[in-house]
Amino acid sequence: MNALEIKDLNKSFSGFSLENLNLTLPCGCIMGLIGENGAGKSTTIRLILDMIRKDSGSVTVLGKDNEKNIRLLKEDIGVVTDEIGIPECLTAKQVGKIMKHTFKNWDSNEYSRLLKKLSLPDNKQFKEFSRGMKMKLGIAVAMSHNAKLLLLDEPTSGLDPVVRDEVVEMFYDFTRDEDHSILISSHIVSDLEKLCDYIAFLHKGKLLLCEEKDRLLSEYGIVHCTAEQLSEFDKNLLKHKKETPYGVELMLLRKDIPDTFKFSPISIEELFVFMVKEAR
Amino acid sequence: MKGLLLKDFYMMAKYCRSYLFITVIFIVVSFFSSENLFFIFYPCLLCGMIPVNLLAYDEKSKWLQYGETMPFTRAQTVSSKYLIGLFVQGAVLCFTGISQAVKMIFNGGFQLGEYLILMMLMLILALVSASVSLPFLFKLGVEKGRMAYYIMIGAVCAGSVVSSSIMSEKMSVDIGMNGVLPILCVVGIMMYALSWYLSVVFYKKREIY
Repeated sequence: MNALEIKDLNKSFSGFSLENLNLTLPCGCIMGLIGENGAGKSTTIRLILDMIRKDSGSVTVLGKDNEKNIRLLKEDIGVVTDEIGIPECLTAKQVGKIMKHTFKNWDSNEYSRLLKKLSLPDNKQFKEFSRGMKMKLGIAVAMSHNAKLLLLDEPTSGLDPVVRDEVVEMFYDFTRDEDHSILISSHIVSDLEKLCDYIAFLHKGKLLLCEEKDRLLSEYGIVHCTAEQLSEFDKNLLKHKKETPYGVELMLLRKDIPDTFKFSPISIEELFVFMVKEAR
Repeated sequence: MKGLLLKDFYMMAKYCRSYLFITVIFIVVSFFSSENLFFIFYPCLLCGMIPVNLLAYDEKSKWLQYGETMPFTRAQTVSSKYLIGLFVQGAVLCFTGISQAVKMIFNGGFQLGEYLILMMLMLILALVSASVSLPFLFKLGVEKGRMAYYIMIGAVCAGSVVSSSIMSEKMSVDIGMNGVLPILCVVGIMMYALSWYLSVVFYKKREIY
């Protein structure tokens, strides 16, 4: 079963439209949603949660249509948004009590364990939390009700590198259970590169690519050459070209690289930047 | 739903302490004051604003968006505010009612008719204050909703001034308070129910960003 299936999803606002989005996230996998600000990442997550109405298309979560079953589905979905909307006067302890009466499968012991692990104080008001602490509390809530799918919108922003690493490790552990899946959006592409099985690039509401990460990394390569050597490449095969005073940097499929040239592996960040520039 | 109510109680205990404090002071003052009805009625109006303020705090903290990620229905989100309103106003009515009854007994003249008129007036004020504002807020959000609410209140006040001056010129009717008030109470209860229903309808249609 797929954890998430999005088919031909469309949503238009004034000045922005998400067009024909198609994504499939198999159970047990992590998909990274990469895009600039305003690319449509948060809109996609809101559409999955039925917070905003789609214009057309379908969203199936854990095998069920999201509009018809959203309340039940939310029991099985853990969400971390870029801004955790916990009222400022509440303490982590009070949040735990509220969630105990909110989620059927709320696990108080797991919540306490996560608060401890993430060094979050029990009795401090939310307004006194740093941005990183707020995100960590949001993560603790999302991971304490036995969710099967985590929807994470910029969950690592505001976290210092050490905590970020811990949190990424927690997400990784979460998907050890083959029924657990994650859709995560982030600007910090290095986190996604570490974590994800699938990568999707969004640009101005359009899906540029959705592929298995390992396949992407093994398919593409970067060649550094001189301006004179450029003629040895078939221009139609070049995915991207960047000319600098020191030479030319080319991105292309490894199979299209002539044997006479050496190539270096590409990172997801480089691939994304190249693709977005190409799409502009 | 229980989670929403618990959250609102925590928030009320923190943000609306001053309201509750003023209410207690006014109930005490109204006990010792001989004539001034202001001290009796003002807590009803004041506490009628508690659900409105809680909604404003929800919006400020982005709880409305966060709550949408949890297994609450929109109707439950709306209902929690109306239930909190009923609870608070019920408590105010109860405490004021007891204090006024004790006051009347101490003064040696408990009159059931007078007492019921007082309680009915309080009930009407309590129900109307939240009924009018909440649908605007649920439809338009707190900022725009408050603006629409003030415009509507202004229009109603202007309309009532004009209509009352016309009525007083044309006829002088001795409105039998005892007859009118129970009807107004029923109207107040129906207004609250209608307001609740409209808020659910409006909020279901609203897109939460």
